[in-house]
Amino acid sequence: MAGNDQLTSLSWQPLPEAAGAELYLLIRKIDTISSNSYLIATADALILIDPGGLPEQVDQLSRIITECREKNDRPVFVFLTHAHTDHFIGVQASPAFAHPDAAIFSVQETGAAALERGDGGITQATLLNFSLVPMTIALPLLTRERRQYPRVPVQLAFPNGAEVTITREPAGDGPSALDRETIRFGPGPGFEIYHTPGHSPDSICLRMGSLLFCGDIVFAANPGVAGQVGWSQECLIRSLNGVEALLSSGRIETVCPGHGRVIAAADALRMFAGVRKEALALSNIAELNPDRVAQTAAFAEDSMEQINELFTIMAGRLYYVSWVMDELGESDLAEKMTTLIRGDTVDELMEAFRDFSLEHHRGENNSINLALKAGQVIGKLQRSFDRDELSRIIDPSFVQRAGRLLSDYITMLRGFTPPTEITVQDIRTLTDAMVSGLSIPSCSDDDLLSSPDDDDVFASLLLARIGARPLLEDIEVSVNAGDAQFSGLIDRDVFGDLLMYILEDLVGTMTNRIEIDLKNAGLEILITVSGAVPASNTPGQRKTKRFLPGLCKRAGGRLVQREDGGMLRFEIAVEAAS
Amino acid sequence: MDITTVDREGKMVLSVNGRVDTSTAPALEQAINKEIDAGKRKILLDFSGVSYISSGGLRVLLATAKKLKTPGDKFGLCSLTPEVLKVLKLAGFTSIFTIYPTEGEALLGW
Repeated sequence: MAGNDQLTSLSWQPLPEAAGAELYLLIRKIDTISSNSYLIATADALILIDPGGLPEQVDQLSRIITECREKNDRPVFVFLTHAHTDHFIGVQASPAFAHPDAAIFSVQETGAAALERGDGGITQATLLNFSLVPMTIALPLLTRERRQYPRVPVQLAFPNGAEVTITREPAGDGPSALDRETIRFGPGPGFEIYHTPGHSPDSICLRMGSLLFCGDIVFAANPGVAGQVGWSQECLIRSLNGVEALLSSGRIETVCPGHGRVIAAADALRMFAGVRKEALALSNIAELNPDRVAQTAAFAEDSMEQINELFTIMAGRLYYVSWVMDELGESDLAEKMTTLIRGDTVDELMEAFRDFSLEHHRGENNSINLALKAGQVIGKLQRSFDRDELSRIIDPSFVQRAGRLLSDYITMLRGFTPPTEITVQDIRTLTDAMVSGLSIPSCSDDDLLSSPDDDDVFASLLLARIGARPLLEDIEVSVNAGDAQFSGLIDRDVFGDLLMYILEDLVGTMTNRIEIDLKNAGLEILITVSGAVPASNTPGQRKTKRFLPGLCKRAGGRLVQREDGGMLRFEIAVEAAS
Repeated sequence: MDITTVDREGKMVLSVNGRVDTSTAPALEQAINKEIDAGKRKILLDFSGVSYISSGGLRVLLATAKKLKTPGDKFGLCSLTPEVLKVLKLAGFTSIFTIYPTEGEALLGW
C-alpha cells in the first residue's frame, strides 16, 4: 500500500485543513484482529474513529483520551466506519468504556441496530467466535427519519452533556451521489459523513479537513472479504463511484484506511479503480465462495499442524526450564513456568480440531465448518498463552511464528490475503545473520555474571539462558557462498520463517552438520539447505505437504524437498534482483 | 494407545503404540508409576509406535525423569519416530534423558 510521509503513527499532529483540530494516528500492520484507530481532538470534542479489536489498543487510546480530558475536559465520541468486530470489539473488555456515559457511540443506522441487538452476522462476531454484548448506540447516523428533513439542522443533546448538530444533505442525483450528512460538535471543525455501503451495509466514510477516513472499502473486493454477510457488489460499485468523485474534487489530500498505512489521494484513486475492477468481476458472488472456503479449509489444516507442533515445543521448553529450575531448588520459578501456556487447554483444543478434521475427511462436515472450527480454536489459542512473558524466556522465534500462524489464519478466514512485502534483500547477509543468531546464546555468561547482586534480574537472565537454547548450538553449520552477491526478491520475514522451519526440521533429525549453499543461476538464486540424517531419523513428509512450499511461495520463491543417500535437502529458488 | 510391558532382567521396557495425547497420557503415566511403585528403577520407553506426543505427554516424561534420578536409576526412550524425536529435541528434552536408537543399545549400557 502506498504510504504518506506527512502523517506519523503514534503522535499528535495538526489535522490538515481543519483549524484547531489535532490528529493522533494508531496505524497497525494489516491483520484482521484489529483496525487502525484515529483520535481527533478539537476544542469541542474528542473523537475516536474505530477503537479497534484489541483491549490493549483500546486501553492505550483510553490513556491518551484521559490525558486530553485532564487538560481540557470535553465529551468523547466514538465513530465506527462500520460495525465489524475488528473495529470496535476491544471496547467491550475495556473498563474505560464500561460506563454507558463514557462516550457517545455513533454508527450508521444499520450497524447501530445490529450492535443494539447483538447481531453476530453483520458484525462478524459469529464468524470469529466473539460473544458480542449488545451496545447502546446513542448517535445513529444517516437515519431514514432525518432523510425526510433535508437541510434542517437537528440539535441533539446527550445525558453526559454532549451536544451535536446534524444536518442531512439532500440525496443527490447521478451515479456518483452518496447519501451524506454533516455533523458539528461546536464551533470547531466537524465531519462530513458519507454512506458507502458494499463492504458492509453500514459502511461510512468521514471527512474532516483534507482527510478522508474510509474504513475497509479499500479491501472490499478481496477474495474472502467479498461475499461476507452484508456484502453487496451493487452497493460497493456505487460507493466506489461516489468516493472516486469525492477524491477527484481536490478537497481530499489523504485517505486514512481501516487497515494499513495512510494513502495519498492520487494513489488512493488508483487503488479504488483497482478495487472497482475486481468488484465488477464478482457478479453473482455467493456469500461464501466454495473455492475460497475450500482454500481456507486447506490453509486451516496446514496451519493447525504447524501451530500444534509449535505449541507442543513451546510447552515442552517451559517444562524443560521448570525441570532445571526445580533441580536448582527454585521451586517457585519452576511452578511459574508451567503457567505461561495453558497446556491442557491447548491440547484439548488441538484434539477437538483433529476430531473435527477427521470427521471432515469422512465427509461428516463441510469445508466451511472446518474453516470456522479452526477460527474458533485459533481464537481461543490466542488467549491461551502469554506472548510477552514467553518471549522473555524461550526463543522468541517460536512465539512470533505461532502468533503469525494464528494471525495469518484469521486473516485468511476473514478473506484478506496474509500480507507479504517482496523487496530486494541481500540473502547472504540474511542467512549469515540467522545462522549466527541461532548459534550463540541470547544471554551470555558475561550477562549472567554481571548481575549477580540483583536476584530478579539474575533469575530472569537464568531463565532466558535455559529456555532460549540456540537451535544450532551443537551443530556445525557452513554457509557456502563464495565471493558472489545474492540480491533476491523476497519477503524478508516470511523467508526468515521458512529458513527457521527448515533448520528445525533438520535439527530435529539429530543431524550434526548442516550445509547452506547459495548459487546464482541466471535469473534465480538457489539456496540449498541440507543435512546428513542419521539412519531411521528421516522425517516423514508433513501430513500436510503444502505448508513449506506454500510458505516459500509467500516468501517469493519455490521449494523442492529431496531425500538422497542419507541427505535431506531443501532447495529454494528465488528471483534474482536485476 | 496400548502399552506392552516386558521385564528384561529387572529393566522394564514399555512399548507404546498410538498417540500420547491428553486422553492417553494418564494411562501411560499410570503404567510407568505401576512399575516404579513395584520397585523398578530402570524404565525404557519404546516409542517406535508413537507418531504424536502432546504437551500432556511431555509432562508425563518429565514427571518420570523427576522420579528416576537417584544414583543407579535409569530412564530413557528408544526407537523414536522422526515426528516425536523432533519435538523432544526442539523442546530441549534430549538434555534431560537419553534417547537410544534401539532397545538393544539402551539395555546394553544399563
